[in-house]
Amino acid sequence: MNQNAREQEAATVGGATVKPFFDKKFSSSLDAMGQVLHEALQALVDRDWIEQGSMFYARLCLEEALVNAVTHGNACDPSRAVRLTMTEENDACLICVYDEGPGFAPETLPAPEDSGMGGRGVVLIQHCMEEVRYNSAARRLEMKMRRKPFCMGENDHE
Amino acid sequence: MSDPSILVFESHGRIVEGRIQATSVLDAMNVARFGAEAIGFIKTHAGVNLLLDFTQVDYLSSAVLTELLRIHETIKTVNGSLRLCGMNPDIQKVFEITNLNKVFTLYGSRKDAVAKYERSLDILAQEDAWENISKES
Repeated sequence: MNQNAREQEAATVGGATVKPFFDKKFSSSLDAMGQVLHEALQALVDRDWIEQGSMFYARLCLEEALVNAVTHGNACDPSRAVRLTMTEENDACLICVYDEGPGFAPETLPAPEDSGMGGRGVVLIQHCMEEVRYNSAARRLEMKMRRKPFCMGENDHE
Repeated sequence: MSDPSILVFESHGRIVEGRIQATSVLDAMNVARFGAEAIGFIKTHAGVNLLLDFTQVDYLSSAVLTELLRIHETIKTVNGSLRLCGMNPDIQKVFEITNLNKVFTLYGSRKDAVAKYERSLDILAQEDAWENISKES
């Protein structure tokens, strides 16, 4: 992606040209993914987006999104890359995962039946993140989180 | 040098405890190995009543849930049973969010789990016995 397209991308995503504080690309392997996941979580901690109590859920969501991009989006094809960006937007952190596959529509995923396989990760991301959207044309999963312990559900209190 | 086992199996009466090892982070990278160890054990122990102990697991990914369902299906084919114990609150919440707490029997601490599992097997055996009696009469 050239510089102009990257700026266009940032403007489109953020509503303003905001540079991501984290922007990494890696080839579609679980090993490479593990390293980027570790760095991304560290970046979130460094900028106070997550603390000890929410580390579990942040890791869960990020790992799920990245694994989906590697295995479903890119079909584990090492020639296809996954890109993870994290951008601060006022009081929210916008996390985007891009794959280079043919795209899919999340609403076509079957609801995770008790004995079914797959789809559970999407349920977890949707439960924990404030907003989740998949832009099929851009092959981009967007997740938004705020600076508070998330995924508390009915126990959400200060 | 081969990787250390993720699961260590130990018998307690009719129950076999499969303890997931210390500092195990069950994630996308090692979940296949976890599944292979469990299924390998089950296939060589027909009728096993397996208690998977998560006491030393700090984190698991959704891939583990899929693997647990696979393990569950396998254990049914050998007429065994599967229960889980020792999960921390975060992991329990993952099971609740995904409704898998309705598929699996989740015991609390490991300390009570074996006794509860044994008791549950006693009750099931009694129910089977009553059912057989009522069929005969």
